[in-house]
Amino acid sequence: MRARKVIAAIVTVCLAAIVVVGLVLGDARPEDRVASLGAAIKCPVCQGEAIIDSPSETAAAMMDVVREKVAAGETDQQIIAYFQARFGEGILLDPPLAGSTLLVWLLPILALVGGSQMILSRRRKPVRR
Amino acid sequence: MTAVIGMLAVLITAIAAAVLIGRGYQGLRAGAKAAASRFRLPVLGVLGGATLGMAALEFGILRDDFSIEYIANNSASVTPLLFKVAAGWASLEGSILLWGLVLAVFIYTVYRQMAKSTTPDQLGAGALAVLGVIALFFFGMMLTVANPFRVCIEPASIGCIQGSNFPWVSSYAPLQGSGPNPLLQNHFLMAAHPPLLYIGYVGMSVPFAFAMSALMLTMSGAGWLKRTRSWTLVAWGFLTVGIIAGGLWSYEVLGWGGYWAWDPVENASFMPWLIATAFLHSSIVQERRGMLQSWNFVLVITAFALTILGTFLTRSGVVASVHSFSQSAVGPVLLWFLMVVLIASFGLFAARAQAVASSPRLDSVASREGVFLLNNLLLAVFTVVVLVGTLYPMFIEAFTGSQVGVGRPFYDRMAIPLSYGLLLAMGVGPLTPWRLARGSIVWERIKTPVRVALAGGAVAVVLNYRNPFLLLGILAATFVVVAILRSLYVSAKAVSDRKRVSLPAAVSRVVRTDAGYWGGQLSHLGVAVIAFGIAFSANLAVEATVHLTPGDTATVAGYDIKYVNQFTREEPHRAERGAEIEVRRNLQLVSIQEPRLNQFPGVRESVAKPAVYETLRGDLYLSLKSIGPDGVTLGVWWFPFIWMVWAGGFLTGAAALWSRFARRPARAEEPVAVGSDGES
Repeated sequence: MRARKVIAAIVTVCLAAIVVVGLVLGDARPEDRVASLGAAIKCPVCQGEAIIDSPSETAAAMMDVVREKVAAGETDQQIIAYFQARFGEGILLDPPLAGSTLLVWLLPILALVGGSQMILSRRRKPVRR
Repeated sequence: MTAVIGMLAVLITAIAAAVLIGRGYQGLRAGAKAAASRFRLPVLGVLGGATLGMAALEFGILRDDFSIEYIANNSASVTPLLFKVAAGWASLEGSILLWGLVLAVFIYTVYRQMAKSTTPDQLGAGALAVLGVIALFFFGMMLTVANPFRVCIEPASIGCIQGSNFPWVSSYAPLQGSGPNPLLQNHFLMAAHPPLLYIGYVGMSVPFAFAMSALMLTMSGAGWLKRTRSWTLVAWGFLTVGIIAGGLWSYEVLGWGGYWAWDPVENASFMPWLIATAFLHSSIVQERRGMLQSWNFVLVITAFALTILGTFLTRSGVVASVHSFSQSAVGPVLLWFLMVVLIASFGLFAARAQAVASSPRLDSVASREGVFLLNNLLLAVFTVVVLVGTLYPMFIEAFTGSQVGVGRPFYDRMAIPLSYGLLLAMGVGPLTPWRLARGSIVWERIKTPVRVALAGGAVAVVLNYRNPFLLLGILAATFVVVAILRSLYVSAKAVSDRKRVSLPAAVSRVVRTDAGYWGGQLSHLGVAVIAFGIAFSANLAVEATVHLTPGDTATVAGYDIKYVNQFTREEPHRAERGAEIEVRRNLQLVSIQEPRLNQFPGVRESVAKPAVYETLRGDLYLSLKSIGPDGVTLGVWWFPFIWMVWAGGFLTGAAALWSRFARRPARAEEPVAVGSDGES
């Protein structure tokens, strides 16, 4: 009985180790910068779609620009700045953690903190044993 | 004539709703006036009027009565029958009428429940009064800003330019109607999606009405929760299926290779779902442990308000969305109604909260109720994420004029960790004892699911699937599935040992004895299947854009895609231009697909209709981007196991409905079934 328990524990630890190694080594695929930029830039002639999702010609042309610029070695910031200069700040679908969009990030976090606090404060006082 | 009958029907319904409010209010004030018989006439008036109204509209559509503005602008004589019927709710006015009809049916079911009991029912009377207010608002809109029966007074060659609210003015019918929005007549799902969603939306007004009634009566306790559980389950089940149907429609029609884009209109249906899900869970805590009384009021008010907000976002044109199919003057009216609902219901809640609140009774965070609280916290934060992401750009634009964009990158970053947290809570929660969970007991119950999940993860790593999101998804979803199966096995084993019946017979007995609990577990199973589907299809998708001339072949994800030739087809209601594509795997021809561009009369832009080759391993998704003499441009995607998203979604919703109808009626106070605790 005891031996079975030990074996089960060892197997569990081994499996966990494999999974952790897999997680740490992470994705074999290189990060797809074109796709993540394409999802973060709004198609200016569409109704709230990202350029990677929109079937319109404008979006396709903008995706081509993104591809060229990524291939030319420009950074994400440079590429975003390029599109913002042409189409305005609102072209970015990934709100920066600063300025007028700071609240977008803060409100959910505040809700999480406030909610946790509320739950913990509702605990019954520990009873003496 | 149809217009006159239709408007009369709407008028009758509005009057009946007003009578319902009056009688409901009297019943609320004095128990003697709360007998069900007093509501018979107004309830039947609401139901009959709403049914007649919808019937009149459908009758006019089927007869191609283009003297009615709505029909002239949303149907055509060449529109196929299914889409003609669906034209009845394809646009704003018709969809408000459908909303009203669904509400009328729900009002009738509330009345039926009241009529079963012989004692006066003040809680029910108050609820009918609140439902009457909602009905009066919607049917009032149909008499004014959203009248589906406006007669056409200025016809165009196709469709109608100007209509009038007064059915007695002389009307002029255009020769032909303009037909439904092309996107809406590309797929049968679009006919089913709005009714499903509306049953979900409108169903939430029943628990809301009972909650308001309980507050007005200062009635504490879980009475209103128990009574409205059926409606909550039905509403939630239909909302789930409706959202999934919407996603599937988006996938099969819009041709961008996805099903969910965090679009404002999608968000509008998702937010009530999140809060309704939280409510479904927290109401269990109140029923079982008497906790969270105030919180349940907050949730049910919020869920109802979010359905109104959703209608406002969808129908007012304030947000740019690929799904905003109608925009009109109803926006401000809905916004006012939303304000009134929020102020009145939260005002009432604030005034009565002290009297109905429960005392804090959380013994330990490590307990079933603790996990329920975690579930509620995560769902509430999720709702805040979606709400802020949807409304913030609107506020900024309204107040500063500058534009900010909030899109998928933001939602993904927030939603992914929240979803993993919810999955974990879903796996652990049902195995955690109430009040206080000792670590050893919980470990005893979760060790098998944990080990199987780790084994699944290890297999994935060995097979070289190292994407962290995929791995975490496999771990969490496997854990949930095995946890459910294990607890079903343990319960069934106990029954089969005790009663000496076979294991399958024991399973069926366990499940049927406590359909409420096992329906919930089946829903959880569905969510886990969705999680598998999302993890695989999102993280292992292959995407390519290929240019092909006739005879050319491209290879994507192991499939050879050969462009044979282009074709054109003329159908009565549209012209189709497409590419004939042969799909081969290992040199074997497996399918011929026809991605198309559909051209509808009177619409400039053509509408893409992607072709999807569906297999159990995944979908090969072909979307035509352009077609011409020099060849085609095709978007090609490979989505492994994406069918799991649809299958899991339908399972999740269907399980809720099953648990509603398999449940024994809660009329007589029955002792709580032992099985619902698992083994605690």
